[in-house]
Amino acid sequence: MTPPAPTVRVRDLGITLGRTRALDGVTLDLVPGVTGLLGPNGAGKTTLLRVLATVSAPDSGSVHALGLDPRRTDQRLDLRGRLGYMPQEPGFHARFTVFEFVDYVAILKELHQRRARHQEVRRVLELVGLDAVRGKQIKALSGGMRRRVALAQALLGDPDLLVLDEPTAGLDPEQRLRFRELVSRLGEGRTVLLSTHQTEDVVALAQQVLVLHLGRLRFAGTPLELAGLARGHVWHSQERDPGALAAWRTGTGQHRNIGDPPAGAELLEPTLEDGYLLLLGGDQVEEAAA
Amino acid sequence: MGGPDTTGAWHADGALLAAYDDQRLDAAARWSVEAHLTSCAACRFQAGALVDPARLERVRAALIDAVDQPRAGVAERLLVRLGVADHTARLLAATPALRGSWLLAVAAALGFAVAAGWTRSGQDANLVFLCVAPLLPLAGIAVAYGPGIDPTYEIGLAAPLGSFRLLLLRAAAVLGTATLLAAVASLALPQLGPGAAGWLLPSLGLTACSLALATTVEPLRAIGITAGAWILAVVVTVMPPAPSSVLFAVAGQVGFVALALLGAGVLLVRRGRFESDRGFDTTPRFAARRLR
Repeated sequence: MTPPAPTVRVRDLGITLGRTRALDGVTLDLVPGVTGLLGPNGAGKTTLLRVLATVSAPDSGSVHALGLDPRRTDQRLDLRGRLGYMPQEPGFHARFTVFEFVDYVAILKELHQRRARHQEVRRVLELVGLDAVRGKQIKALSGGMRRRVALAQALLGDPDLLVLDEPTAGLDPEQRLRFRELVSRLGEGRTVLLSTHQTEDVVALAQQVLVLHLGRLRFAGTPLELAGLARGHVWHSQERDPGALAAWRTGTGQHRNIGDPPAGAELLEPTLEDGYLLLLGGDQVEEAAA
Repeated sequence: MGGPDTTGAWHADGALLAAYDDQRLDAAARWSVEAHLTSCAACRFQAGALVDPARLERVRAALIDAVDQPRAGVAERLLVRLGVADHTARLLAATPALRGSWLLAVAAALGFAVAAGWTRSGQDANLVFLCVAPLLPLAGIAVAYGPGIDPTYEIGLAAPLGSFRLLLLRAAAVLGTATLLAAVASLALPQLGPGAAGWLLPSLGLTACSLALATTVEPLRAIGITAGAWILAVVVTVMPPAPSSVLFAVAGQVGFVALALLGAGVLLVRRGRFESDRGFDTTPRFAARRLR
């Protein structure tokens, strides 16, 4: 089976923010389906998503999304009409109700015909399960509901490319499950890129995974391939293995160690998280195990 | 038409309901049928079967739409009445500088400036007003748009409307409103005449200059720099020991025309700079507006 053609092509992308090289020589392709973007804080995830959402302009390199080049004004506007973006910290107008807020964003997306626009607003609110609270003021909603409002506005116009920055942050387990159901449906036939700190989200949703670290792309492949990086590097022991990069006591009372195993160690099947931690090295392993 | 059933209760017959559905009844008969339908499930059922489902769906959609219709404030209603498209009015109404409370504050500032003039005498009785009025559109634009100021700034950047268009729309609305209020207030100045309109060209010049500067630095900073420069110019020229009204005399006014044209030109050439965040912090700065 031939792999699907990329919908987004990023080549040698670079951007400097202040004195920090936020992205450096990033090259990647996105295909239809869900792609998870992993990386520690400050890795450049938000910067990459902003560039793909045409919010930030790169210093060097190129992006082609849905066959459009955002450096050209006409193509950038076309692209904006076909993408949905959920920022990490979206703001809202304090007095707006849920409906008014999403309606306002629909106007920014140039859905001018009032009746059709309102219908579209109701459609996306229904999709995220907020139809019943559409008359409520946003300031009266819980954090999880507000994330869903932010997701709803990204779905306006049924975009071909969805860019979601930490959409599951602050969601409780039930909300996260609902979110996964929704994103997995959305990923059918369109390109979804979501950044997250939750490796479980990537395991549950993503067909592709990217790992960014210090502005550079450290991994691009399937979740299985990322987990496979740790094959032969995860083992059980009764006590913490001093030679391990990191080790922690699991629910069974045994220690799970990551690193270079001693001879004869009881090796374990690695998870995506093991692969991710091993890829990023000691600091991240220590941080995750803490 | 209608008649009693076997239990003696009155019901609308098929012909009456068909006439009602076709809108062939006069107003009195229509109201009578409607009053009956609200209390009689059997007739409602019969009437429901006569109505075209597509029409029912249209009515239902219109009803839901009317319920969902966002509440329009005074400014928004006024804009729509003036012929502004409803979606444009909505974009403008989200600008704090067009809310009643802001306009009231602008009116109060202008009122104080006028009142200050009446406490002075001589040629410089209008001076306080002339110095204050150009600052008001700048203050309005400062709260109307920009990273960290507009809560939906980042979402707006990723939307096809375009940041530059939104900026121009809001700046024009704020400038227009502030100019209108200042023009009305200037009628109450102690010294009427051409000199009483000396604030208008500085207003235009400073606004254009601040927007042009915003293509280089953060909009809020650009407005701060422009306002600071104006205040400095006022202090240097108007204050003792050598008070002069050069800013409002012909030479000064010509200078502000030049500044307005220059600003507009720079803005036009560099408008593409508004189409990305340029590395500015886009996090909404007012905690109450943050959506997390």
